[in-house]
Amino acid sequence: MCENLLELSGVSLVRGRTRILDNVSLNIRGGEFAGVLGPNGAGKTTLLNVIAGLESCEGEVRLFGVPACKSNGMKSRLRVGYIPQLFEIDPSFPITAYEVVLSGCYGKLGLFRRAGAGEKRRARELMELVRVSHVADRPVGHLSGGERQKVSLARALIQEPDLLLLDEPTASLDIAVQKDVLDLVCNIRERMGLTLVLVTHDFSVLPRDMSRTILMREGRVVFDGDTGSALESETLSGLFDYPVETFERNGRRFISYD
Amino acid sequence: MIEHFFDVIGMLPIQRALIACLLCGAGCSILSVFVILMKMPLIGVAMSHAAFAGAVLGMLIGADPFISGFIVCLLLAALIGPVSDRSGMVPENMLGIFFSFTMGLAFLGLGILTRTKVTALNLMWGSLLTISNRDIYILLAVTVLPALFVLLFFKEIKSVLFHRTMARASGVPERMIYYTLLFITGAVVSANLSTVGGMLIFALIVQPAATAMQITYDLKKFFLISVASGVGSCVSGLYISYVFDWPSGASVVVCATVIFAVSFIFSPKRRDSRSRIQGV
Repeated sequence: MCENLLELSGVSLVRGRTRILDNVSLNIRGGEFAGVLGPNGAGKTTLLNVIAGLESCEGEVRLFGVPACKSNGMKSRLRVGYIPQLFEIDPSFPITAYEVVLSGCYGKLGLFRRAGAGEKRRARELMELVRVSHVADRPVGHLSGGERQKVSLARALIQEPDLLLLDEPTASLDIAVQKDVLDLVCNIRERMGLTLVLVTHDFSVLPRDMSRTILMREGRVVFDGDTGSALESETLSGLFDYPVETFERNGRRFISYD
Repeated sequence: MIEHFFDVIGMLPIQRALIACLLCGAGCSILSVFVILMKMPLIGVAMSHAAFAGAVLGMLIGADPFISGFIVCLLLAALIGPVSDRSGMVPENMLGIFFSFTMGLAFLGLGILTRTKVTALNLMWGSLLTISNRDIYILLAVTVLPALFVLLFFKEIKSVLFHRTMARASGVPERMIYYTLLFITGAVVSANLSTVGGMLIFALIVQPAATAMQITYDLKKFFLISVASGVGSCVSGLYISYVFDWPSGASVVVCATVIFAVSFIFSPKRRDSRSRIQGV
């Protein structure tokens, strides 16, 4: 897999008087693991929403070589998994973790069709894969943040996506759980041959496998290249308008600031 | 007491009221599941005031107040979803704005209405004991509507109720489901005005599902408990209304509140959540 799964050409999005995305063009090839990073308000989540078809924009979005417009976008978008930021769930909400995972295939099933034995078995298998089978029958609002993110991951995987979008998947999680969730994502990517686009503002949690980094600021792509080159003091200091230093340890680059 | 009960249900107005009660309780309590889980308790009061404003406007222009109330209510239901989505405002804030606007409109209409205001005020308070056959048929239609909707689109509804954005991202026709829910809410509320009344519908559109919320984590059982609670409130309210000669709508609401209070006090979910917090 090396052809472009995702192509954005001249994508812009204006809300009120604010230009959230400004002429963004980029391609993501099959099998790539790309990270979209930048300060708050850079337009990272909006970019992910545009790719997921949650927001309309100017310019062209092509998924799997086909324009993802309203008329034919749904078919290609069913091949895109989406994991949102951790969100509040009412502990009393009447839905179990297993039901949340199963609901990931409802769009693919279409109207008037119920989930059959195959889908139900797959949901249980995926919960085992992401190590949350022990909480399958618990209300999802009772789960910890890490467990909920893993449930969201299994929910996205039941869609059998080719492209997986992750929006700040480790936000609000403690360090050990952040590592656990990211390791899991990397393992699954390797196992299933997925293409990943991960959005984060946290440079301390970049997965080792993330080979490409796209830096955004004020709705524009200001850097697009390999992760090692992105993590240079000069690049990051310019990105944040704040002095940032980088250092290397065990073959990986980290950032430091006062 | 039992003999008295059978005497009571042998009377035609009571039979009609009982059927209307069953339908009203079932229709409103299905909707209350959406209202509670989507955290939109204002929708009942906003819709009922829209219908009330429509009825007053209808009386002002010489139209059937029921039909004009129905139309205004449906218009509001059709507007809320798209307007709140496009403006980026949370639906509850949008409902607050529409609620105050329609209430202002209704009282403005009442102020300039020179004829008797009894018909309009009946819509506010309702009267279970004076409903007609036409009301029964309309109620039947608008009770079947949400029930069918739930049966046909249960899995999509479950997905949308849990998280609209995730539902949409995974290919569920989220907007169609969400806007239809709002539209059906408008239809059920306006059709039920002449039974429990606009002011009191608010209780029946919140309390049955609030009761179910205390009892179960299973969405199917949630719907069933909500319907049982709504129908139970209506039937017991009607009975009490007849026996003690109390206003029927108010009796229904008192019963719904008592049922909720009992479920709250003995809630297994609250006990479960206390145990989790204490680590028992």
